[in-house]
Amino acid sequence: MSDFDPGRRRFLGHLGLAGLGALGASSFLSACASSASGPTTGNGSGAVTIQSNLSSPQAKAAMEKLIANFNAQGKGTASLNTIASETFRTQLPTYLTSANPPDLYTWYAGSVANDYASRNLLLDVSDVWKSLGDYPQSLRTLSTDASGKQVFVPMNNYWWGFFYRKSNFAKWGVQEPKTWTEFLALCETLKSKGIPPIGIGLGDTPWVASAWFDYLNIRINGAPFHRELLAGKQRFDDPKVKAVFTRWREALPYFDPKGKAYPFQEATTALLAGKTGMFLIGTFFADAAPKDALGDLDFFRFPIIDPAVPVAEEAPTDGFFASAKTANPTGTKALLGYLSSVEAQEAYVKASSGIVLPANPRAKAADSPLVAKGKAMLDDAKELTQFFNRDSSDALQPTADTALTKFMDKPDQIDAILREWQTSAEKVFKG
Amino acid sequence: MTATISTTPVTPTRRRRRSARLSPLLVAFVLVPFAVESVWVFWPALQGFWFSLTRWDGMSPPTFVGVDNYVELAGDATFRGALLNTVIWLVLFGGLSVLGGFGMALVLQRERRGVGFYRAALFTPVVFSLVVTALVWRVFYQPDGVADTLLRAVGLEQLIRPWLADPQTALYAVILPALWRQIGYVMVLYLAGLKAIDPALHEAARMDGASSWQRLRHVTIPQLRGVNAVVLSVIVIDSLRSFDIVWSLTKGGPYHSSELLSTYMYSTAFQSLRLGYASAIAVVIFVLALAVILGYLVRAFREEA
Repeated sequence: MSDFDPGRRRFLGHLGLAGLGALGASSFLSACASSASGPTTGNGSGAVTIQSNLSSPQAKAAMEKLIANFNAQGKGTASLNTIASETFRTQLPTYLTSANPPDLYTWYAGSVANDYASRNLLLDVSDVWKSLGDYPQSLRTLSTDASGKQVFVPMNNYWWGFFYRKSNFAKWGVQEPKTWTEFLALCETLKSKGIPPIGIGLGDTPWVASAWFDYLNIRINGAPFHRELLAGKQRFDDPKVKAVFTRWREALPYFDPKGKAYPFQEATTALLAGKTGMFLIGTFFADAAPKDALGDLDFFRFPIIDPAVPVAEEAPTDGFFASAKTANPTGTKALLGYLSSVEAQEAYVKASSGIVLPANPRAKAADSPLVAKGKAMLDDAKELTQFFNRDSSDALQPTADTALTKFMDKPDQIDAILREWQTSAEKVFKG
Repeated sequence: MTATISTTPVTPTRRRRRSARLSPLLVAFVLVPFAVESVWVFWPALQGFWFSLTRWDGMSPPTFVGVDNYVELAGDATFRGALLNTVIWLVLFGGLSVLGGFGMALVLQRERRGVGFYRAALFTPVVFSLVVTALVWRVFYQPDGVADTLLRAVGLEQLIRPWLADPQTALYAVILPALWRQIGYVMVLYLAGLKAIDPALHEAARMDGASSWQRLRHVTIPQLRGVNAVVLSVIVIDSLRSFDIVWSLTKGGPYHSSELLSTYMYSTAFQSLRLGYASAIAVVIFVLALAVILGYLVRAFREEA
């Protein structure tokens, strides 16, 4: 005991010293940052801090590489903080409203970014966009806030589609469907062979069902109606929304009954193991796929239901926005300029394992038939949507989770479900 | 007579000296935690009451809306469902963990060979983090998992269902792991209570020819009144704040069927970002806990008086 006590005291002493050291270092850093923000020296001499939620091993390594490259160029210095994405999501408002916020953040284009912009929390990055003349107009529109200035710089996007294993489709002797009728026929064929045709994973990830809602709505009612609905300008108990569920009901018998009990990661495993036929999911699911299965994967676009409706695809866009209160706007914009360059985007695509498309049109995507097909599909689309929560808000997502999982369980109660959905959506919009 | 005269002046001085010696340390021990608690516990709790009267998204300043949040709560079907589930949880989780814990304590109270192993085995779940517990039980409940395999082995495969994803079973499937954990805890409390009973009482009852059931009914149970008060408080508080196991197994789903007041409060606050409304739910939870515990304590004190 007597041996233990001094040791512990010494340990606590060290801890205290370390704590003081950390405090000293951070106040020193913030002193640097604030000196950089001085009216005369706003030339980007302080380190730019970047908060990243890209915490999967490959994405994290890719970001570290980019930051190292940027620092090596000598145009400024940056430091990377990688934070678990759930923590990041809940802390983001705190970061942005704090007195001395981090400078740059990974985030998604869409309504959440616009919401922050309307509260004047985001840095105007129109300067950066001046050098992004060759970026497509769709990405520029996506990055522009209501007052007409750019607040977001896209890094890459990915696509959603029906993924399947080529070898399994060959074994079952089936082809990619183009229309809803062909799709239902394909489901019937797979079912008759004893394979649950449509995989889904709602256990821990009920938001996966929103992809079905998004796609059916943009195929039946079109992307503009979908956006208005998610912005609270249309009602969920509208007959046009009910039409979505009438179609969905035709496909319900073909869903994997086990899908509601496990998360999308396990639904991925089931698809790869040939226990389900196909899976409507974003390309990120392939992060968990073994390398040898990647070559066997293929996808087809969500079937066309009404040929008169312009084709839209879900293409969630990831990128960066910066805090309006950054102490170092020049340095932050310099880093953003680097991150949007061909060099940086190609380095990111190379280092990350995900199947993503770089935002810069001159940057080369990964060289695989799957990526080429995905890129062609997005280039071909008349309109791009993001995803339910990115087109609406994280706050609206739980209302969709409740309504959609309930519908899949109790399709008979659709009228009551849509009324409830409208009520809870109104509460979210009201605040 | 002389003795009383000599003792009277002694006692006040001794008392005065003792209190004078203890006071600085004692005062520090009370005041320092109180100061810390005031900042980190009492002040936020009071703020919670204020927030429950506002509409607040966590970013813009809160706007005062009076009792609007409480009016909305009264008409909120999800809230009513969560309240009902919390009552079910209180009765099932609370009741069964008291019965189970007391039963186990009775069985394991007498020192026998190997009894330590069983006590430890029952207490082990308490040691595990609830998130780990949830992981283990999720494997148990998953499609074609242990639960389904067991049912198939005994020929009850028609009962198989997605335990955590079926609104009929989700709440009960979540209560089970919580019970599995709580029983060991309650058992330890009752074991301590049973050890504290004077063996002479049982001896005397046995001499009077009382059966073991009569001794349980008239000696053991009345002697445990003090422990019961502790167990009841612990159970009520644990029921009302049960959150982690539900959140990590079902997040209150599917479609609110396993929602408790605590999970509804959390999702309202941090997913829907309606912090004023969530504060109103928190106030309701606080009032419920206070009502149940005060009600019991008042009754217990009245019986003692």
